[in-house]
Amino acid sequence: MKTALSVILVFILAGASLFSAGCKQQAEVAPVAGLQVVTTLFPLYDFARTIGGDKAQVTMLLPPGVEPHSFEPRPEDMIRISRAGLFIYTSKYMEPWAEKIVSGIDSRSLRVVNAGERVPYQPGGSHEHEHGAREAGGHKHDQKGMDPHIWLDFANAALMVDTILDGFVAADPGNAAVYRQNAEALKKRLDALDVRYRKGLSSCANRTLLHGGHYTFGYLARRYNLEYHALSGVSSDSEPSAERMAALVREIKSSGSNYLFAEELLSPRLTETLAQEAGVGVLMLHGAHNLSRDDQAKNVTFFDLMERNLVQLQKGLQCQGK
Amino acid sequence: MSGEIVRAQLLSCSYREGRVLEDISFQVERGDYVGIVGPNGSGKSTLVKALLGLVTISKGSAQLFGHSLSSFRDWHKVGYLPQSLHLVNPVFPATVHETVGLGLLSLKRFPKRLNRSDNQKIDLTLDELGVSDLKHKLIGELSGGQLQRVLLARAIVNDPELLVLDEPTAALDPETRGRFYAMIADINRSRGVTVLLVTHDSGAIGEHASKMLYLDKKILFYGSFDEFCHSPEMSSLFGEHSQHLMCHRH
Amino acid sequence: MNLLEILSYGFIQRALLAGTLIALLCSVLGVFLVLRRLSLIGDGLAHVTFGSTAIALALKLYSAMSLLVSAPIVMLASLGILKLTEKGRLSGDAAIGLVSALGISVGIILASVGGGYNVDLLSYLFGNILSIRSEEVVIAALLCFGVMLLLTLYYHELFAISFSDELAKVSGIRTSYINAILVLLTALSVVLAMKLVGIMLISSMLIVPAASALQLARGFKVCIVLAALQGCSSVIIGIIISIMSNLPASASIVMVNLLFFAVACVVRRIIYPKNSN
Repeated sequence: MKTALSVILVFILAGASLFSAGCKQQAEVAPVAGLQVVTTLFPLYDFARTIGGDKAQVTMLLPPGVEPHSFEPRPEDMIRISRAGLFIYTSKYMEPWAEKIVSGIDSRSLRVVNAGERVPYQPGGSHEHEHGAREAGGHKHDQKGMDPHIWLDFANAALMVDTILDGFVAADPGNAAVYRQNAEALKKRLDALDVRYRKGLSSCANRTLLHGGHYTFGYLARRYNLEYHALSGVSSDSEPSAERMAALVREIKSSGSNYLFAEELLSPRLTETLAQEAGVGVLMLHGAHNLSRDDQAKNVTFFDLMERNLVQLQKGLQCQGK
Repeated sequence: MSGEIVRAQLLSCSYREGRVLEDISFQVERGDYVGIVGPNGSGKSTLVKALLGLVTISKGSAQLFGHSLSSFRDWHKVGYLPQSLHLVNPVFPATVHETVGLGLLSLKRFPKRLNRSDNQKIDLTLDELGVSDLKHKLIGELSGGQLQRVLLARAIVNDPELLVLDEPTAALDPETRGRFYAMIADINRSRGVTVLLVTHDSGAIGEHASKMLYLDKKILFYGSFDEFCHSPEMSSLFGEHSQHLMCHRH
Repeated sequence: MNLLEILSYGFIQRALLAGTLIALLCSVLGVFLVLRRLSLIGDGLAHVTFGSTAIALALKLYSAMSLLVSAPIVMLASLGILKLTEKGRLSGDAAIGLVSALGISVGIILASVGGGYNVDLLSYLFGNILSIRSEEVVIAALLCFGVMLLLTLYYHELFAISFSDELAKVSGIRTSYINAILVLLTALSVVLAMKLVGIMLISSMLIVPAASALQLARGFKVCIVLAALQGCSSVIIGIIISIMSNLPASASIVMVNLLFFAVACVVRRIIYPKNSN
C-alpha cells in the first residue's frame, strides 16, 4: 500500500527535478543595469525588447505554451514586477489578471502600460459572419465579446509600438532618442510586413479563412479582405454546439477550400474532426500570444511567426505569387 | 474425519488501545455448540473475527478444520452471521433472494454463476426459516428480526459445517429471540453443524449450548455447561444468584 | 438546421456511438463505486490525470503517447486511494480528496516550474464528445467490451464486496483483489474517456445514473440495468437536444441525466410513499 503511494511520489519528484534546471535559469533575476521591463504576452515582449535594445532588460511573464487565460503568477514573478520600472500588458480582455497583479504591487517607480489603449477594438466574431456572431454571444458591443488579438492587424501593432515607446520614454527619458530610433525601425518592419501580406494575399483562389477553433484571426482577415469563419467565439470557455459544427462543415464544403486552419499551441482535436468530416486538410496558424518551448529556445521573433503564417495562408487559400 | 473444527493457540490481538485478547487457547470439536459470553468490551467479537481472519492476529495462531488461516481455502464449510446492524447499508438495492445467494459464492469457482438448483436451494432455505414471503423485498425494507433471519439464511444456505454467529439476537424482541435460539439449536442438532455463538445474553443460550466460553480478554472459563453451572469460580464471578439464573433452566 | 441532416454527419454519429459506449461502462461501474462510497473517485482521478498529463507534456509526449505516462500513474493513484481507505484509516471521500489534491498541485507546479510546454496543457486534457475520431470509437468499444466482460465475470464478487467486505471475505473472496479490479477499471476508463468526452461527462456518468437507479431499483441486477439504460439514453437524448436547441452537447447530456434523477425521486415518492424520506 505504501509502495503505490511512494511510486507516485517518485514520479512526481522525478518530474519536478527534471525541470528544476530550467527553473533555475529563469530564476536568475540578477540586478542588471538599465531599465527593467516586464511584459505579459509574446508580441509585447518582442516589441519591447526591440525598442529597448541594449538599454533595457525585457522579460516575459507567461511560461512557454501556457494559455494567457490560465496563467497564475509565481512569487518570483511578483518580485520581478515590483523591481521593474515598466510593466506592459495588452488589455483587460486578454489578461484579466494583469490589473490585479499590478494593484497588488507596492512600487512607486513602476509604470504600467496598457499597450492596446490606442487600438480600435473590434468585437470578436460579430462583424463578418452571422454564425460567428451567434457563438460570440450575439451582443455586438458586449465588452466581453471584444477580440483581444489586436496585434494580428499590423497597423494595430504599430499603434501598440507607439504606446510602448511612450512608456519607455516616460520611464527612462535619458535614453529616449535610442528608444525612438528603435521604435521607428520596428514600425518600418511592420509596414514592410503589411506590404508583403497585402501582396501575398492579393490574388488567392479562395478568400475564406476557415478556422476550426476559437475566434482569433479576425483582425488579420479584415485587413486583407478575407472572410473569416471561426468555429466558436472569443471566450475559451465556450463549447461549440453540434449545429455550429455541422454548419462549419457545410461552410467548408461550400467555400471549396482544401484546408481548415487550426491554432498552434492548442489541441487540434476539434479541427481535425471537422477537417476529416469535410474531407480537407489541416494547416496551423500562430496566434502569437505565446511561444512553444522549442520556439523560445530558437529565439523566434514575432516577424518569424508572421512569415510562417503567411506561408500557411498562401498554401491554404491557394494564392498566386510569392 | 478429524473432529477438530477450530483451534486457537496462544492467540493475541491488539488494537491501538492495547491488547484486546491475550493468549487465547481453546479447541472446538465437531458438533459442539459453544456459547461465547463475557462483559462488554471483553473481546468476544474480536475473537470470532480473529478466528475467521477478519482481524489481524498479533501473536499466536488460529486454525480452521486443521489448516492455518493463511492456507485455509474451504470457506464453503463456514457460515458467518455478523452483528447485522453494522453491516447493512439501508439503501443497498439487493433483494432478499439476491442477498441469500451471496452465501453460495463460496461453493463456486471462477466465473461464479448461480444456476437453477442454486435458486431452489435459496428458496428452500428461506422456506425453512419461514421468510419465503420476503423473497422479493429489498433488504432495506426489512424489520430487525426479518433481516436477522435473512442473514442467517445467507449464512446456512451453503450447508456449512461451522456456523459463527456474532450477537445475532441484539435487534430482536425476547419472543423472537427465543425462537431464533431454537432455530440455531435445531440446525446444530439435526444437521450436526458446529456452532460458535457470541452473546451478551448468557442466560438464554444455556438451554442449548453444549459448552461455555467465558471471556474477558483472557479465557476465564471454558468447559461444558454443567461444569460452568457448578463451578465455584463462576459463582464468585457472577454471584450465586446470577449463576442460578443462568443455569436454572438447565 | 434539420435534425436528420445533422445526424448524417460523421462526428454526430461517432458522438452517439462512442458516447453511448462510454456511458454504458461508466454507469455500470458507477453503481459499484457509489455503493462502495467512492462516488467522487472519477473527479479525483481526473485531477491525477491533470498532474500526469503535465508530466507527459513536459516529456514531450502528446495525445495518445501521453497515455503511456498518465495511465500507469492514474492506475497507481487509484490503488493509493484504495489503500488509504483500507482498514478504515480514512473514509473514501477523504482519501479521494487527498489524492486529487496531490494530482492537481503536481500539475500546477509542473505547469509553472517546468519551463513551459510546447502546447497548452488544458486544451490537451479535455476531450469534447463532438470531436471523437473513428479510431477512438474503436478504443471506446474495446474499453467498453473489456470492462463489461470483467464486470460480468466478476459480477458476484463485486456484488459481494459492495454488500459487505467482511461477509465477502468469509465467503472466500479475495476482497483486496476484487477491489483493485474495480478501481483499476475505473482508472483506465477515466484516463481514456477523459480524452474522448471530457471530465464533466465522465464524473456525472459515474454518479448520476447510479444515484437514480438506487431510487427505483428492486434488486441489484435491476439497479445495474436501470443505471445503464439511463446512462445510454441520456447520451442520445442529450445530443439530440443539443442539436435541436443549439446547446453544447456534454452539458446537455449532464442536464438530461440530472432530469432523470429528479424524475426518479418523484416516482419513488409516488410508488413508495412510506420509505421515502
